[in-house]
Amino acid sequence: MDNCTYEKLDISGLDAWFGDKQALKGVSLRIKPKTVTAVIGPSGCGKSTFIRCINRMHELTPGNRVSGVVLLDGVDIYKSVDSMDVRRKVGMVFQKPNPFPNMSVSDNVVAGLKLIGAASKKELEAVAEENLKAVGLWKEVENDLKKSGASLSGGQQQRLCIARALAMRPEIILMDEPTSALDPASTAKIEDLVKTLKAETTVIIITHNVQQAARISDMTAFFYLGELIEYGETRTIFESPKSPLTERYITGRFG
Amino acid sequence: MQGKKSSSHYNRQDAVFKYLLISASLLVVGLFAALFLMLIRGSLPSILGNGLGFLTGTTWDPINGIYGALPAILTTIVTSLLAVGIAIPVALGIAIFFTEYAPVKAKFPLTVFIDLLAAIPSVIFGIWGLWIIAPLIKTYVQQPLVTSIGFIPIFGGPAYGISLSLASLILAIMVIPIIASLAIELLSRTPITLKEGMISLGATKWESVMRVGLPFARMGVIAAVMLGLGRALGETMAITMVIGNSYMWPFANPSIFAPATSITSKIASEFYEATSAIYAGSLIELALTLLIITLATNVAFRYIINKTNKEAKR
Repeated sequence: MDNCTYEKLDISGLDAWFGDKQALKGVSLRIKPKTVTAVIGPSGCGKSTFIRCINRMHELTPGNRVSGVVLLDGVDIYKSVDSMDVRRKVGMVFQKPNPFPNMSVSDNVVAGLKLIGAASKKELEAVAEENLKAVGLWKEVENDLKKSGASLSGGQQQRLCIARALAMRPEIILMDEPTSALDPASTAKIEDLVKTLKAETTVIIITHNVQQAARISDMTAFFYLGELIEYGETRTIFESPKSPLTERYITGRFG
Repeated sequence: MQGKKSSSHYNRQDAVFKYLLISASLLVVGLFAALFLMLIRGSLPSILGNGLGFLTGTTWDPINGIYGALPAILTTIVTSLLAVGIAIPVALGIAIFFTEYAPVKAKFPLTVFIDLLAAIPSVIFGIWGLWIIAPLIKTYVQQPLVTSIGFIPIFGGPAYGISLSLASLILAIMVIPIIASLAIELLSRTPITLKEGMISLGATKWESVMRVGLPFARMGVIAAVMLGLGRALGETMAITMVIGNSYMWPFANPSIFAPATSITSKIASEFYEATSAIYAGSLIELALTLLIITLATNVAFRYIINKTNKEAKR
């Protein structure tokens, strides 16, 4: 952890609903820039809902609601920013690799930039190469850039999706269990990648794997039944959790 | 092998059932072959009497024994393509609205209306087109266009109302529900993960549909369009009522506002008058030509599907 004093993300009193069902209850936490924050907790505890409130994806389903304040670099993303702009600043990597099958490997990387337009073909090629290198995929796909993004292996697809998110130069990258559909070797590659990502950006990663949280994160947030039970430095959480719930969860006694 | 040796009751029952199914399938093949042969046999007087001139001739004059089918063939192809051209954007618009924007409450009524539109008998479209749409389109669309850009031959006057373009419009309305209901089915199958992937990059719903939804549904949409094209090619009643049944288009008057005659309207309006063997034969040869056009469309469509399938696998 560096000595940064300002907050990248400042969330207070965040509530979220699916129709009448409340999925998040008064979540408040602050995240420093260039850190990796792991979000852990049993299924249905609100982890996914929580990160989907940070890029305003939660509100996509009709009937869903959000209240509370989410400040990104001090700006309220629910009041002062258009939802599309929020999503350009806050990238997302999903549980199941979802490269666009109708686009080539390189077009997948620049899909978001193409939405904004403005970049020339040459610039886009350069961006594709740069970001494929950043996720360690360049050497593997160098000769297959024109192939469909869906032709890659699962692990490669997920790194392609990370490259796609990175290409937007996001302030934050949200990851929703990015390795749960992958084999151990691919998982290790992604974990290494996450550790290098924080040089450039801020990562918030949901994981079902407590060991993974311990390996890759600086901070850990433990959610239970829609509430943030405990949040702090990963080492502290794992060595001396304050809440007995946290302790039971990380020692594998439930969830 | 074992089945043959054992003679249990169940195996015999299975065999009987199997042969019943085989004969049902053969019946389809047999019917098609019989139909095709009947058409060829019926057209023999025309094939022998008119020769190839039947396909290239532009005059249809039974009194003097001249039978040229080219205007009818061209009319059938052009009205159908125009109809599908009008129907595609509207139908896809309906499908995109339905899957992405329509409130849940509006979805059920919308499907009901699309299905109702598909269920309207074509004679109703015909009479509506003839009595209501034709005068309107003549006054408010054709005449202004004729006076403003009428110097371009395909928009030339005079405006008749009933015309090639009106036929295309009525056909389009009949084709829209076919393409729309299939496109709704296809677009709602776009994996949510792909949509969310696009949305998470800052895409609007519209961009997500255009860049991920439609490409994903592409093959099915092509199939839907081909189905609509098949419907348009074969439509008879409504066309006969609104197309004007004149052999003017395209050689005497290339304007899309000119009356024309399609293969189906020609057959439908002249079959009772066909007293001589060559006249009847010529109409049957028209039917044979339509069948071949439809088959060719089908083959082309299978070819496209196979090709895109292979590309997708590559």
